[in-house]
Amino acid sequence: MTDPAHDAGAPDLHAPDVHAPAALTACPSCGEPLPVGAKFCEACGASLGGADSAPAEPEPGSVADEAAPIDLASGPVSRLTRAGDGAPAAAGPQPCSQCSGVVGADGYCETCGSKALSERDHFRQQPVAWLAGVCDKGVVHHRNEDAMAMSASPDPTAPDRRAVLVVLDGVSNTDDSCLGSLAGARACLPVLAAGFPQGVGTPASRMGAVAQVFARAALVANTQVVAATTPGTTRPASATFTAVVLEGRTLVHANIGDSRCYWLPDAGAGVQLTVDDSAAQAQIVAGVPRATAESSPQAHAITAWLGADSPSIEPTVGRLDITGAGWLLAVSDGLWNYASEPAQLATRIAAAGTIEPAALALALVQFANAQGGRDNITAVVARVADLGAGHNAPTAPAEPGESHG
Amino acid sequence: MAEFTAAVYQNEFLPDGGTDVNAIVTLSCVGAGTAGQTGGGAAGEVIIVDISGSMGTATMNAAKAAAQAALAEIVDGTWFAVIAGSDRAYLAYPTVTSGPGMVAMSGSARKAASSAIEAFRSSGGTAIGTWLDLAVTLFGSVPEVTQRHAILLTDGENREQPGALDAAIARATGVFQCDARGAGTDWQVEEIRRIAQALLGTVDIIGSPAQMRAQFQDMMRSAMARGVADAQLRVWSPQGAQVLFVRQVSPTVEDLTARRTPLNALTGAYPTGAWGDESRDYHVAVRLPAKAIGQEQLAARVQIALGDSVAAQGLVKATWSNDSDLTAKIDEQVAHYTGQTELASMIQEGLAAKAVGDEATATTKLGRAVQLAAETGNEEATAKLRKVVDVTDEHEGTVRLRKTVDKADEMALDTASTKTTRVKK
Repeated sequence: MTDPAHDAGAPDLHAPDVHAPAALTACPSCGEPLPVGAKFCEACGASLGGADSAPAEPEPGSVADEAAPIDLASGPVSRLTRAGDGAPAAAGPQPCSQCSGVVGADGYCETCGSKALSERDHFRQQPVAWLAGVCDKGVVHHRNEDAMAMSASPDPTAPDRRAVLVVLDGVSNTDDSCLGSLAGARACLPVLAAGFPQGVGTPASRMGAVAQVFARAALVANTQVVAATTPGTTRPASATFTAVVLEGRTLVHANIGDSRCYWLPDAGAGVQLTVDDSAAQAQIVAGVPRATAESSPQAHAITAWLGADSPSIEPTVGRLDITGAGWLLAVSDGLWNYASEPAQLATRIAAAGTIEPAALALALVQFANAQGGRDNITAVVARVADLGAGHNAPTAPAEPGESHG
Repeated sequence: MAEFTAAVYQNEFLPDGGTDVNAIVTLSCVGAGTAGQTGGGAAGEVIIVDISGSMGTATMNAAKAAAQAALAEIVDGTWFAVIAGSDRAYLAYPTVTSGPGMVAMSGSARKAASSAIEAFRSSGGTAIGTWLDLAVTLFGSVPEVTQRHAILLTDGENREQPGALDAAIARATGVFQCDARGAGTDWQVEEIRRIAQALLGTVDIIGSPAQMRAQFQDMMRSAMARGVADAQLRVWSPQGAQVLFVRQVSPTVEDLTARRTPLNALTGAYPTGAWGDESRDYHVAVRLPAKAIGQEQLAARVQIALGDSVAAQGLVKATWSNDSDLTAKIDEQVAHYTGQTELASMIQEGLAAKAVGDEATATTKLGRAVQLAAETGNEEATAKLRKVVDVTDEHEGTVRLRKTVDKADEMALDTASTKTTRVKK
């Protein structure tokens, strides 16, 4: 017999995983014995409170810090009766992300054995009924470097409605990106949630002012990404930056890197709002078919990003006036890798068969995981209601166009 | 208050498509206390002594002294009885014909039981099944005894109808634990090992009457130091997984796989009997559906439970990786005990082949045993093997069967075959 037992190469593989005997207390709800540190009772599911289950602090400047009021007149999305505060930490026990089984006090599912994801590896937000997001580690990567932030006004049918969707995708071959991306996404949200400059100057100058808001948001996010970088590292934290703001009937979007925004109306063809800063996009511009370019080895090399070594932190800004109802999406490449064309995403939305933003965001993430989950996956989705034939609120400039802020 | 801890040794990394997870789980108990003294019910001891006609004067006298020495080790207050066995079983002490068949140990009871043992006269045959059945009856007559243990001494082969002993073993399984000893060389190792394995006890040969007293003292002393009356090994595996085997691998190899009773859809329970202050190692192998590279999951929760409460838990994990530096390594403990388990079967199969005159098979298997004993550092097995075979090359496992072998040495090799050594740190 060969004797690998005496191979001295990996002593850490033999390090015992020692578990001291659990001192038991009892569930206040049903009396079931509980191990110390349990966050919920495995027998009855009662939440046991404690610091770990307290929701994280609300995001500063969110326009929707309070739960959305139930508005029975506002259409199908009003079915949701409870909305979170936008914090990543959901109170109470989270079922297993793989099989919906009960997660044990040891951090593994009691049915399928899957490791329960940490709150950084999988988090969900729904600040109001019509806006939700899911940010997920995916299958292959060891940690989640994607991040998202969002806020919206309570009533999706109000003429002055507003929604902000932000996605930052931390670059995985750098250090600290998972910290930088989340801090960046959270920090830039108040900048975008504050509202655009109104009624000043020509449409072109107003668009320039709006573009400056996005540029400022990118700068704020960049400051956080740079701050997350360990001093002296040769691989500074880096992230993409993508944001889209719905104001009334107007969408304004901005991006650095290859996280995307899509507008997918219920009627008619959808559009990809952002244009990637990527090697693949450069090839597409040069005439290479999209499918070929996006599957090339260098497809995911981005040509612009946030971070200490960024060549430029000026986002590409664009706008679109919309009519009718539809879905507004901000997503990372972990999702669009598996559904790049707007029509493909529309197919996935139809397959999900839901008009609940939270359910759709989860369905899109699950779809990407089912396809292999080769990257972190983020889907932020807003269910945009039809405002009818009324006048558009006087917001962004009426002139379509693209500008560098 | 007894405290258990669990430690897991494994390589959790599986290659792409890999399905089988192996782990050694060490369960340790401290603060076990004394049998019957920890508030979990009373302890009972039954001493079973062969008084068949084959017991010569020297053996009989040694057996009497040994049984009396065992009495001295039984803590006062412990329920006990003495059985004299030949072609039927006699309740030698207490001398009752109805009601409780055991009494609480005291100075006077010890004296009276000693006198009863002194009066043993050898005659008749050997029907071990009837001895086990009487022990079952005695334990059943005192319901407050929850920790039940017997020591059994025989010097001969069982002479019951085929199947009678197995049926009696089945009736005793789960009722009491039994350490069994064979005196001389006229008994069958395989037969007595079957009793000890089913009844969660040890088996050994007592080569000379002079060793008997010390062996009985040791057995009874260990039994009295098991303050944890009964513990259950539990193995949870995920939905869709298959538990390939569950083996105790230290201090001895005992395959528990077939002794699983389902606790729920995903958890099986295995008996481990009473515990003193000790450590036992278990080898658990689980087959999982393969997952994608990067996925991590739990392959097993290995728990030790006292009654309904889990006293300690070890987590066996699986992580799929495409890094062959991680996935190719076999954990040192897993490799060690895999070798020790094979060593036990090689010794047993080699001796069985030798007994039926198949020298070629015996030479191959015992040669492999010599090789494994050397590789895993089992010096006791090496020493015992060298009394049965002449070793040409330890590392190649080339041996010759010795022309003349002391029967007692061969039986000692057989009874000790399941004893394992731990990984040297």
